[in-house]
Amino acid sequence: MARCALRDQRAFAQLYHLTAAKLYGVAIRILKRNDWAEEVLQESFVNIWNHIVEYSAARSAPMTWMTAIVRNRALDWLRRPNLERGDEDYDLLVEAIPDEGPGPEVALGNDRAAKALAECLKQLSGNQRQTIVLAYSHGLSHGELADHLKQPLGTVKTWIRRGLERLKGCMDRGG
Amino acid sequence: MKYHSQQLREALAAEYALGVLQGRSRRRFERSLKEDPGLRVLVAQWQDRLAPLDELVEAVEPPARVWRSIRDRIQLRLGRRSVWGSLALWRTIALFSATVAIALAVSLTFLTPSRHAREMMVVVMSGEDASPTMTVSWPMQHKGEPKLRIRVFGHPEMAAGTAWELWMLPGDNQKPVSLGLIGTEPTQELKIPRSLGPLIDRAWGLAMSVEPSGGSPTGLPTGPVLYKGQCTKL
Repeated sequence: MARCALRDQRAFAQLYHLTAAKLYGVAIRILKRNDWAEEVLQESFVNIWNHIVEYSAARSAPMTWMTAIVRNRALDWLRRPNLERGDEDYDLLVEAIPDEGPGPEVALGNDRAAKALAECLKQLSGNQRQTIVLAYSHGLSHGELADHLKQPLGTVKTWIRRGLERLKGCMDRGG
Repeated sequence: MKYHSQQLREALAAEYALGVLQGRSRRRFERSLKEDPGLRVLVAQWQDRLAPLDELVEAVEPPARVWRSIRDRIQLRLGRRSVWGSLALWRTIALFSATVAIALAVSLTFLTPSRHAREMMVVVMSGEDASPTMTVSWPMQHKGEPKLRIRVFGHPEMAAGTAWELWMLPGDNQKPVSLGLIGTEPTQELKIPRSLGPLIDRAWGLAMSVEPSGGSPTGLPTGPVLYKGQCTKL
């Protein structure tokens, strides 16, 4: 048993080394603080360890499944009461998704899923695209987006809801 | 709480995957997820739709203490797990890791924009415990000198005075063909002679052996094979 356990742990160490840098990047992007991101990464891997045998029941790709665990942990962390992130400048990312030109394709890579997403993001209005990309990549809430973009909360909620509907419609049609 | 309207289910799944569902609605949604497989499928679909946005995230190497404390925490559970036994957990993890490695190898390769998507060959290479330690990938039917993209995971160390040599295994009991020396850096590129292009597209697999510095003196592997893997066409 002890030897089995050791082998389990070695295999898991490899999985960690394979994915930790990417997942730590995801956590830092949302949390903006390395110490928080470290905590979240730790909790996420313990969680992954506990649930990896159930993974086959999930439908998404393994890396997507792991990323979702990290994202959810990071969001839970952020939405604890009385926790505030510092003011950040989110414009950089929006520049990576310009209105025209080959920008999104280059930024998002070139496989089929990435192309479909980039193509469909292009068909959204600028506001819809910006709010969706900011919310996903930086973990911004409706309220934070409204503050950042100096727009009423209801407007931001509508941009996101309509944007997501259009995105699904477009991606279901295959781009 | 059940969400009956399909439109509401779809909208909440999307907002949950995006990360904007908050507070009570988020907790209520998570409770429903536990008992509603259909809802889990909707969320998984949205996660897959949005996943390419993760490509925009820069990888950052976490400090070593993170793994140490994860290890300590799962060790406690390992003791308990062994009570009811988990025979081939490592196999599950290794298989899972291999799938992740392929995805990472492919996303790296596709970051270079090309006009049309070509078929890719990916080799997930592992050592004795079957966990992936290295991936090698290249576009098939490449005109000119084929370029192999190499990813090395887990920061392995190369012993002083030795070199790592990559070999093509043609299959059918043919001798390995040297592709050149590689390093331990996480991402590398290796150009191989144009004449090997058609051969490598038909190869059975790749292997990496430890050789004296400068490479094998005989033209065939002389040291132990550290990693080995079979070619997979994607």
